Amino acid sequence: MSPRRSASGGSIDRLRTIRFTFDGEAYAGHAGDTLASALLANGVRLVGRSFKYHRPRGVFTAGIDEPNALVTILRDNVREPNIPATRIEIYDGLRAESQNRFPSLAFDLGAVNRLGGRMLGAGFYYKTFMGPAVGPLRSTRFWMFCERFIRRAAGLGRADHAPDPSRYERMNAFCDVLVVGGGISGLMAAEAAARAGKRVILAEQEPETGGFALWSGETIAGKPAADWARTMTEKLAALDNVRILPRTTVWGHYDGNTLAALERIGDHLPKTPKGHPRHRHWTIRAGAVVLATGALERPIAFPGNDRPGVMLAGAVRRYAGEFGVLCGDRTVFFTNNDSAYQAASALKRAGGHVAAIVDVRRTISEAAAALAAEAGVVPLTGQAIVETRGGRQVTGIVVQPFDAATGALSGDARPVECDCLAVSGGFQPVIHLASQAGAKAEWDETMQAFLPPAPGQHWRGAGSFLGDMTTAGALETGRDAGLWASGKKPSRAKLPETGAPPIDIAPAPVFEIRGKGKAFVDLQHDVTADDVRLAHREGFVSVEHLKRYTTLGMATDQGKTSNVPGLAIMAEARGISIPEAGTTRFRPPYAPVSIGALAAERYGDLKPDRLTPMHDWHVEHGARMMEAGLWHRPMIYGAPGETVEQAYIREAGAVRRSVGIVDVSTLGKIAVKGPDAAEFLDRVYTNMFSTLPVGRARYGLMLREDGIAFDDGTTWRLGENDFLMTTTTANAGPVMQHLEYVLDVVWPDLRVHLTSVTDQWASAAIAGPDARKVLEKCVAGTMVDNEALPFMGIVRGTVEGAPVMICRLSFSGELAYEVYCGAGHGLHIWEALMDAGEPFGITPYGMEALGTLRIEKGHVTGAEIDGRTTARDLYLDWMLSKKKPFIGSGLMDRPGLIDRNRIRLVGVISLDGQPLGGGAHIVEGGSLDDLGQSIGHITAFCYSPALAKYIGLALVKGGKARHGTRAFVSDPLRKRFGPVELVSHHFFDPDGRRMHG
Amino acid sequence: MVERATPLGADFKPGSYGDFADGIGITLSAPPSGTIVEATAWPGRERALAARVGKVVGLSLEAGAGAGAFKETGAAAFNIGPGRFLVSGRNEVLADRLIGAVPEETGTLTDLSHGRTRLRVEGARAEWVLAKLFALDFSSAAFPVTEGRATAHHDYFVQIQRTGDQRFELYVFRSFARAFVSVLRRAAEDVGYRIE
Repeated sequence: MSPRRSASGGSIDRLRTIRFTFDGEAYAGHAGDTLASALLANGVRLVGRSFKYHRPRGVFTAGIDEPNALVTILRDNVREPNIPATRIEIYDGLRAESQNRFPSLAFDLGAVNRLGGRMLGAGFYYKTFMGPAVGPLRSTRFWMFCERFIRRAAGLGRADHAPDPSRYERMNAFCDVLVVGGGISGLMAAEAAARAGKRVILAEQEPETGGFALWSGETIAGKPAADWARTMTEKLAALDNVRILPRTTVWGHYDGNTLAALERIGDHLPKTPKGHPRHRHWTIRAGAVVLATGALERPIAFPGNDRPGVMLAGAVRRYAGEFGVLCGDRTVFFTNNDSAYQAASALKRAGGHVAAIVDVRRTISEAAAALAAEAGVVPLTGQAIVETRGGRQVTGIVVQPFDAATGALSGDARPVECDCLAVSGGFQPVIHLASQAGAKAEWDETMQAFLPPAPGQHWRGAGSFLGDMTTAGALETGRDAGLWASGKKPSRAKLPETGAPPIDIAPAPVFEIRGKGKAFVDLQHDVTADDVRLAHREGFVSVEHLKRYTTLGMATDQGKTSNVPGLAIMAEARGISIPEAGTTRFRPPYAPVSIGALAAERYGDLKPDRLTPMHDWHVEHGARMMEAGLWHRPMIYGAPGETVEQAYIREAGAVRRSVGIVDVSTLGKIAVKGPDAAEFLDRVYTNMFSTLPVGRARYGLMLREDGIAFDDGTTWRLGENDFLMTTTTANAGPVMQHLEYVLDVVWPDLRVHLTSVTDQWASAAIAGPDARKVLEKCVAGTMVDNEALPFMGIVRGTVEGAPVMICRLSFSGELAYEVYCGAGHGLHIWEALMDAGEPFGITPYGMEALGTLRIEKGHVTGAEIDGRTTARDLYLDWMLSKKKPFIGSGLMDRPGLIDRNRIRLVGVISLDGQPLGGGAHIVEGGSLDDLGQSIGHITAFCYSPALAKYIGLALVKGGKARHGTRAFVSDPLRKRFGPVELVSHHFFDPDGRRMHG
Repeated sequence: MVERATPLGADFKPGSYGDFADGIGITLSAPPSGTIVEATAWPGRERALAARVGKVVGLSLEAGAGAGAFKETGAAAFNIGPGRFLVSGRNEVLADRLIGAVPEETGTLTDLSHGRTRLRVEGARAEWVLAKLFALDFSSAAFPVTEGRATAHHDYFVQIQRTGDQRFELYVFRSFARAFVSVLRRAAEDVGYRIE
C-alpha cells in the first residue's frame, strides 16, 4: 500500500492498480485516482516550481482551482503543458513531468531568483529594464532584448511545436433545462426538471456526479451521501429526456442562454477509442439554466503559506474522503470558519492525525467545538499562523495570539510540528457563469464573499453557488431551481433527511496574517500581499490596474483562490470596504479550453474544398493543383521534367498555335430571372443589358457604390426574362451578396429572383485557331460556324448525347468557345472534347497558361480590379453608359477618381530578359542607390511565348501617357532590379482579329 | 440519356466504418439526384406556387416556413426561405414539367439537378451526427418529419429535409459534396456508420 493511503474508504478501485511516471520515476495508484491524489498517496510533496521565484510548490487543492501543481503530460510524442495534477485522471502508462525547473525539480537553478526576492516585486520588469537614451539598445529595444531571457527564466510549461495528432469535434445541443454542476443541488434540479418532462442536460466537470456528497461522509435519506448521489445519477441516466455529461466543464455563458462547454473524452484513457475525439466542444442553447456550480474554498495569506504541504482544508478532506489519501501524518488546520472543523473530524475518521486546529476567532460554535473533540484536539482560538518551517515540504508552523478585529499579533509565538497544514479562509461561490451572463456580483458581509448577481437571463442558482453551504440547503434550492426552470411552483414536499451538523460557515473577515516573509496571495503567479500594497503605493488601485500591474488573477487558474484575498488586501490598503474596491467581471473561459476543440474540424484534412466535375481527370493527367479560394484548379499539366515555366509556355503556345482546353467551371454563375431582370442588370452593370438580344452574351462591368470597380464577367441572355450571369471565381459570393442586398433593400419593387447556379454547370473553354474544328467534330444539333455562332453568340446542342450550351467568347484572345453542360456530365463532355481535339493536338492548360494568355491580351482580373481601381484606371471607361444610371455612377466622377495621374493600366516589358515579379515597384531612378519614388506596381507577369519576352501588366501613374517610356522594376524582397519599357497593355492581337476571325 | 457522374469520388464506397463494434449508428447513402428544382414565388404568390408545384409532383405542399412534404416514391419538396422551395423527384425530366407548370406571374423555377447533391443520413444516431455539424435542434418535436431547414456548416450551405424519425435528406452544393461527405463521415466515426 502507498505510504499515505488509508486502509479503506474512498471511491477509488483498490483492486485496480494503475502505473504511471512522474519526472521519470515510476509510481502506482488506483483507478479513480487523480495524478495529485496518486502522488500524495505516494508521499510526493514537491510537484512544481513557482512562476517567478522558483519556490518549491506542492498540491494545494483537489480540483479545478489548483494554482500550484501544474504538470506537462507527454502523450503520443506531444507535450501538453500546464495541466493541473488535480484534473488528471491517471491511466496505465501516463507520463507526467514537472515544469519550470532546471535541471531537476529537486535542484532548480532558477531558485536563485529567490535571492533577489525584494527586487522581483510587481512591476519589476517595467521599472528595471529601461534602456539607455542612446545606443543600439536604446529605449524599448533594451526591454525587447531582455524579454527573451526573462521569458525563458519565468513562466509556466513549455508548449510543443509538434502537430497535435488528437481529434476534436464540436456539438450543438438544445435543451429545455441545462443544469451546470452535478453536485447535490444539481442532481436535485435535474431530477425536478426531468420529472416535469423537460429535456435536461446535466453537465459535470468531474468524472462522476455527486460533488461534495462523494467525500463528505454525510448521510442523505438515511444512507451515505455518495450512495444517494449515485442512485440519483442512475435514475437520471435511465430517463430518455436527460443527458448527463461527465467530465464536461461549462466555460462560457452568453446571450440568449447560449453556453459553451468542453467535454474531455479521451484524456483519462491510455488511448482514445477508435473514431472518438479527444475533446468535444458543446454549444448548448438552453431554455433555462440552473447554475449549481458550487463554491471554492479560499486560503489565508500568511508568511510561508506556499510551502509544499500547505493545502486547503477542503482539499485535505476530499483527498481523505474520495481517494483514501491522508495528506500528512500530523495535520494542523488553520481557519477563520467552522468548515475546517468538519474537515478535521473527517480526517480523523479516515485514520489521520490532527495535530492542532488554529482559529483566528476567539470563540467558536458548539458544533465546531464538538467536531474538534471528535478530531481529538482542543482548538487554539484567537491565534494565527505567522510562519511555516521546512524546505521542500512543511515541517512545522509557528502560532501567535491574534486579534481578528484589528489584525494585531501579540504575545509569544510558539512552534507546532506538522507535515501538513490545512487552511480555510472561507468560501467564494463560483459565480463566473452568472457574472458572464449578467449583472455585477454583490458582496455579502456575512459570508465575506461575492454572491451571484440578480439573473439577467433565464437562469437560477442552487446550492452553495447561492452561499448556502449546507446539504439541506443544496437539496432544497436544487429542487426549487429545477421546478422554476420547468415553469413550476416551489414544492412543499418533504425533502430527504440529512445527517450533517449545523455549523457556522460564515468566516471571520481575516484574509491575511502580516508577518515576516512572503505571504502569497496568488500562488500561480507568485503575487504576494506586499505586491498588492506596492501596487497601491504606486497608484494602481483599481481592480483592473491591480490585476495588470501585479498579474494577480491571471494565468490558467484565473485567480480562483486569489481574487477575493487580493481584493481584500487592496481594500484595506485603501481604507475602504471590499465592495467599494470592487470586483472584476468574470469573462470566459471559466477554465482553460483546448484550442483544438475550438478549431475542431475546421482545419487540416477537413478544411473545406471545392472541386470541379473534372477534378479527378486533372489529377490523373498530371495536373499540379493550386488553391484558388476554396477551389482546387490545375496550375499546370506538367510533363516529366518540366518546370512550371516550361509547362505554361508549352500550354499557352499550344493555344496560340492550335487549340487548348481549360476548366472554367469555377466561374461564379447566377441565374437572374423575372420580368424585371433586364432592368435589374441595367442598374447593376455599367453598360446596357436590356438591349441584349436573346441568345447573345455581353461583357459587363460592375462598380461599387463609391465608383470603384467591383467585378466583371459575361452575362448571357437565355430568354426574355432569363439571364445567366457569370462572375470571377473569387467574387462569386460577394457579387451574389451584393445583388441580393440591392434587391432586398434598395429595389424591393423589382421582380427578380437570383439563384446561385455555379455548381449546376460544368464549363470548359476551348481556345485557339482550331477551336471551331474541335466543336465541329463533336457537337450535334447546332452549327457552330461564324454565322450560327458569331462572337458572343450562344447556341444549344449536344455532345456525345449530353446537352450543352456553347457561347463564343474569349479570355485568351483566340477564337474561343465556352462549352457549358450539366455538372454531372462535365467529365463526359470534357473527355469528348479531348477526343475530338486529338487530331489537332488539343492541350489542356492550367491557370498559369490562362494567366499568360490574358496578360498577352491585356485582359484584367482581380489583380487589377483590386478594390482601388476605377473603370477609367483600367481603360474600361467605354463601358460606362451615359444613357442610364447604374450603381456607382453617382460617385465615379469624383475629382480623386478621375485624376489623370492616378495609377492606370499599362503593359511592361522586361528589357534585361529577366522575369518580373508580382507586386514589384516601378521606379524611375536608374540605380539601386537612387531609385526615386515608386510610380506604380506590377500586377501580373509571365513569359510570353507569343512575344518571346518577359512581360507584365502594371498600374502606373499616368498610365497611357507613359507608353514608350523606360522605367525600372525594383523588387527588393526578391533582389530584382532592372530596366523595363512601359507599353500598351494590349500586347497581342490588339485589333482582335484572331478572336473575331 | 447520359448518366450523371457522382461528385463523391472513389472513397465513397460501400462498407462499414468508424467504431461500429457496438452497432451501426447511421447509414450514409447518396440516392440519385433525379430532378432538383428551386422554385421561388413572388410576394403574395407563395400559396399559388406551392399549389402548382405540389400538383405536378403529387404532394400537398404548404407555404409556411420550413413546411414540406414527401412521398416514399421519391417526390419531395420543402420550404428553404421566404417563398422559396426545393423540389425534387426521381424523374430527370421533371424539371421541364415543373418549369412549364408555373406561370411567370407566380414565380420562377431554376433547375439545380446537377448543382446539388443529395445525401441521405439514416439511423438511430442520425440526430447526434447531424448536431455536430449544424446549429439546429434535430429533435422530432422541433424538426418534425416532412419539414425542411436551410442551414450552413462553415462554408457548406446545406438544405435538410426530415423524411423519417431517423432519416434526413441533405442537399449540398455539388462542388462541396466530396469535402462535406468527409466531414460527415468523420462526424459519424464515433457511432459507426455504413455507406450504402
